[in-house]
Amino acid sequence: MYVSLNWVKKYVDLPKDLGLDQLIYDLTMRTVEVEGYENPAEKYHDIVVGKIIEVKPHPNADKLRICITDIGEEELVQIVCGGCNLYDGEHVVVCRPGAEVIWHGEGEPVVIKEGKLRGESSYGMICNASEVYLEDIFPPESDEYIVDLNGQGTPGQNIADLVGMDDIVIEIDNKSLTNRPDLWGHYGIAREIAAIYKLDLKPLADTAVHTEGLPEFPIEIDVPEKCMRYAALEIHGVDAKKESPLWMKTALIKAGLRSINAIVDITNYVMLDVGQPTHAFDRTHVTDKIIVRNAKEGEKLELLDHNQLDLTTYDLVICDAEEPMALAGIRGGRKDSILPETSSVLLEVADFSAPTIRKTGKRFDEKTDASIRYEKGLDTERVDQGLAEAMRLFKEIFPDAEFTAFGDVYPIKTERAEVKITKEFMDVRLGKEFSVEDVKDTLGRLGFDVDFDGTTYTCLAPTWRSTGDISIKDDILDEMARLHSFESFETKPLPVNFDHAVNQPKENVDRRVREYLAFRCGFYEILTYPWVDDHFMQAAGITPDTTVRLATPPSPEQANLRTSLVPGMLQTAVSNLRYYDSFRVFESAEVFQPGVYHESTEDETLPLQKHFVTGMLVGSDPKLLFFQAKGVIENLARTCQVEPLSWKQVERPAWADDNVYLNIMAGKDLIGTLGLVRVSTLAAAGIKHAQLAIFEFDEDMLTPYKSRDNEFVHLPVFPLVEKDLSIIVDEAITWQEIEQAIDKHTREVKFVEEYRGEQIPEDKKSIMLTVKIGSDKGTMKAKQIDKQMNKIVKTLENRVGAQLREA
Amino acid sequence: MLKQLEEIRNAGLSRIKDAPDSDALQEVRQELLGKKGQLTQILKSLGSLDPETRPAVGKTANEIKNFFAEKMKEREEQLLSSESVLDAPIDLTLPGIMPQQGALHPITQMCYDLNDAFLSMGFEVFSEDDITSEKYAFDNLNFAADHPARETMDTYWLEGTENKSGAERLCLRPHLTGASVRYLLKHGAPARFVYPGRVYRNETTDARHERAFYQYEALVVDKDLSFSSGKVMIEAILSKVFGRKINVRMREGFFPFTEPGYEIDMECLVCGGKGCRVCHNSGWIEVMPGGVIHPNVLRAAGLDPEEWSGFYANIGLDRLVMMRYGVDDVRYFHSADLRFLEQFK
Repeated sequence: MYVSLNWVKKYVDLPKDLGLDQLIYDLTMRTVEVEGYENPAEKYHDIVVGKIIEVKPHPNADKLRICITDIGEEELVQIVCGGCNLYDGEHVVVCRPGAEVIWHGEGEPVVIKEGKLRGESSYGMICNASEVYLEDIFPPESDEYIVDLNGQGTPGQNIADLVGMDDIVIEIDNKSLTNRPDLWGHYGIAREIAAIYKLDLKPLADTAVHTEGLPEFPIEIDVPEKCMRYAALEIHGVDAKKESPLWMKTALIKAGLRSINAIVDITNYVMLDVGQPTHAFDRTHVTDKIIVRNAKEGEKLELLDHNQLDLTTYDLVICDAEEPMALAGIRGGRKDSILPETSSVLLEVADFSAPTIRKTGKRFDEKTDASIRYEKGLDTERVDQGLAEAMRLFKEIFPDAEFTAFGDVYPIKTERAEVKITKEFMDVRLGKEFSVEDVKDTLGRLGFDVDFDGTTYTCLAPTWRSTGDISIKDDILDEMARLHSFESFETKPLPVNFDHAVNQPKENVDRRVREYLAFRCGFYEILTYPWVDDHFMQAAGITPDTTVRLATPPSPEQANLRTSLVPGMLQTAVSNLRYYDSFRVFESAEVFQPGVYHESTEDETLPLQKHFVTGMLVGSDPKLLFFQAKGVIENLARTCQVEPLSWKQVERPAWADDNVYLNIMAGKDLIGTLGLVRVSTLAAAGIKHAQLAIFEFDEDMLTPYKSRDNEFVHLPVFPLVEKDLSIIVDEAITWQEIEQAIDKHTREVKFVEEYRGEQIPEDKKSIMLTVKIGSDKGTMKAKQIDKQMNKIVKTLENRVGAQLREA
Repeated sequence: MLKQLEEIRNAGLSRIKDAPDSDALQEVRQELLGKKGQLTQILKSLGSLDPETRPAVGKTANEIKNFFAEKMKEREEQLLSSESVLDAPIDLTLPGIMPQQGALHPITQMCYDLNDAFLSMGFEVFSEDDITSEKYAFDNLNFAADHPARETMDTYWLEGTENKSGAERLCLRPHLTGASVRYLLKHGAPARFVYPGRVYRNETTDARHERAFYQYEALVVDKDLSFSSGKVMIEAILSKVFGRKINVRMREGFFPFTEPGYEIDMECLVCGGKGCRVCHNSGWIEVMPGGVIHPNVLRAAGLDPEEWSGFYANIGLDRLVMMRYGVDDVRYFHSADLRFLEQFK
């Protein structure tokens, strides 16, 4: 919303020493967020009133004239102009050299220089309206038509000064006004400024509505809960061709509206002044009476452009005896329009309920200056202010106008909200003691009536704050806090509470897992959206029947919420393979499955939500990737201080290779999978020339230790002996079998490498391993070592059929 | 003979001094003191000498032997102290061999920085699931029944529930505040806790707007609290996170779930509060809505508003991270682009 400071000054005298920055700061801190300000006069620098003394023909051009012009300087100046309406004595708009104009009314401003036109010197230019932001004030008849000021102004007078543009216009963030219906007009803002600086607020000119003796204009309201008040004033003797006076045009333009004609301008001016929307119907179009009712099934509203709005039975419409004429509080229809020949109007000043306007406005995607005000919830008393203001302006601008009939149906009156609050509650919650006088004065300036009985304040809010804004005692706290400025309250530190040391093992695990993957294992943490692309979901082999879906997804192919982080991984692989050929990423996030889960209360049934951690290793050697990933998981439990994990092969996820996958087990629970991404999934995802190993597990299934639990093991007293062994076994024999076979006879068994090829028979493989052996009784002697090693070799022979490979 | 010895001594000394490295010195040692060395030969042939000169020659020869040994030790020490491990010079500007690279997401980093700060002040960390219901996202929080945020154009409702209401109408949470009631229902009051997380809005994305973004909310519930403590808390937290005092200011704001509500602005870190493009020349950045918990919210959490009070502070994590690093497009955060993420090691 744009607020003109000159307009505000009509209602409150601002102190001379109050700087603009201070005013903006105080408004922002206490009331509404000011986004910026500008002086509209700035763009009119060096644009002045000129009086043409003589118009002469141009010797070298038929269409150009030479104007000898008085622009208030010592000597007359010569200006070349192509205007079609030049005459001696005409007052025109002159841009002196240095002025900025919009050339031919289009594009960015350009700076005017002194120059020559077809050989004749020209000191600046005489402008048409669109070149100097004046087309709303002086509507041009044609492109060649220059602004004729009709004798207004004195030569050299700045044009902004003449039209009243020298002002400060403050822009207020509408979002910060949503809860304050009283601030959607200049009078409301003036009241707030007066309260902040403890200044006197001048009353509105005259709010008494003088309609005594006028015949009744018939009004029927069908739905009083949607239309709390409807007043209609019949006015004859107006003229839609009449332009508004300059001051009104300028006021509207500064507030961001356009000047249309005097009738429409009055209705807009009233709205900007007191915040009450008003609407003028052409009287001759209104048959008999006004009916305010819900639209009927199948009813339509015809618009000025002959389009039709399909109405629902919820929409509130303003009708005459025949049909709907307007969508209440939002927009008019064809029938109510003010036309050039309009000479009598029916002025509507009404109050509609906020939800009604909001709902219908939303459905038609229609936000008008009227509807944004009604949406906030206006009080019925304001209708009086709007009416009085409108009547005053109609009389002023159309001296011959006559008020010929009046109706005012007023089924529901906005009652003033009463809030009781004890002095103690206020002082404790605000952390500061306020005197009764201070409370009465602060709230009084906002229109409250405050009574104090020794312990409790009874605060009677003004009607303009009683449409939902003020209803509980905490609202009174807010009024006190903001008007004294939140900043003025002494800040109090929070009390320290020693019996509440925080230890949250579950939360700690989440952090440890992420830090382990990032800092120890070289993974980058990624974030992806919870809605997954159908393409990658299908590539991962996830079927949509197992998903939770969005009703209004970001795009049609992103309706499914993820059941696994794997599709996001595939997508990430594709996007990063453009720049990298090997990398590691992980994500720790929620996944969703249909199901029944009550998080807080029984009435609320949520789908299953699990916290998954998924890591992906991208590279070229699948076997290497797999074992690297396996190492990451095998180290995780100890490093992240959770109960141990183990491997089992029970259930293959759709994306995993038939042969290369393992399930991750926490105790007896299957909590996840590690595997190579299968060829068909890679192909479907569009991944070429790269291999992916992925692990994914349910983090909630990790059981954190309450504190670190591993026990210290004494260092060996006597040195261990390390021996390498190279054995040949059947392909079918696993490392696990080898390890378990000799576990008992060794202190440590370590895998070194696996080998197939020359010298190794078909269906066999060679395994190289290192064992450590030792004794608690003393350093092992050569004989003991040989004996022990023989035992180990024998055991390997017996248990896994291993043959020692000659070195 | 003695004269010959004198020559051996002088020649040997210069050989020792001239030895360029340990290996050369070893050769010299062989030459001078080895079996085939002149000195050894002389000592070996002592028996054949004239008995009168024998003692003097023997003595001198032994002295020279000891002298050589001493000088060679000196030279060896000298050589060691100036010797390099490498035979050839190397290019020290070659890049180092990197340790395994990886990083937390910059948002996670910021979140952990905040967690550390809040944990040090006795706050718990709480997480709510991403899917919630209208009851917890709106009803409990005093949002009007026709509040625009409830519309499908603002909130991601779940298919099949979008036309229901209350606890049966489910959505991806549009903000974190609903979690406050969940926590209070579970743990009661007094309480002080933070609940970071991702929230979702159905909107068009651009450099400043995302459909999924992170918030960080803190709540304190206690008896006889003054709202102004909220400012102290925020000041303390920001100072911890940014490592220096960050000025903040508190001003009027409105949110359905607070009364009074306030906005907390922090000084613009880009210009240090002087005014720049980022802060629209105001010197302040709006980062945190907050306020005193609305009595209706306390009631929803089963607490008596006459007894309990408290305040919220909600931090826009994405915005704070953007400020910290000067990131100019919020969409990078969900891009999973390693070229972006690598910068936050």
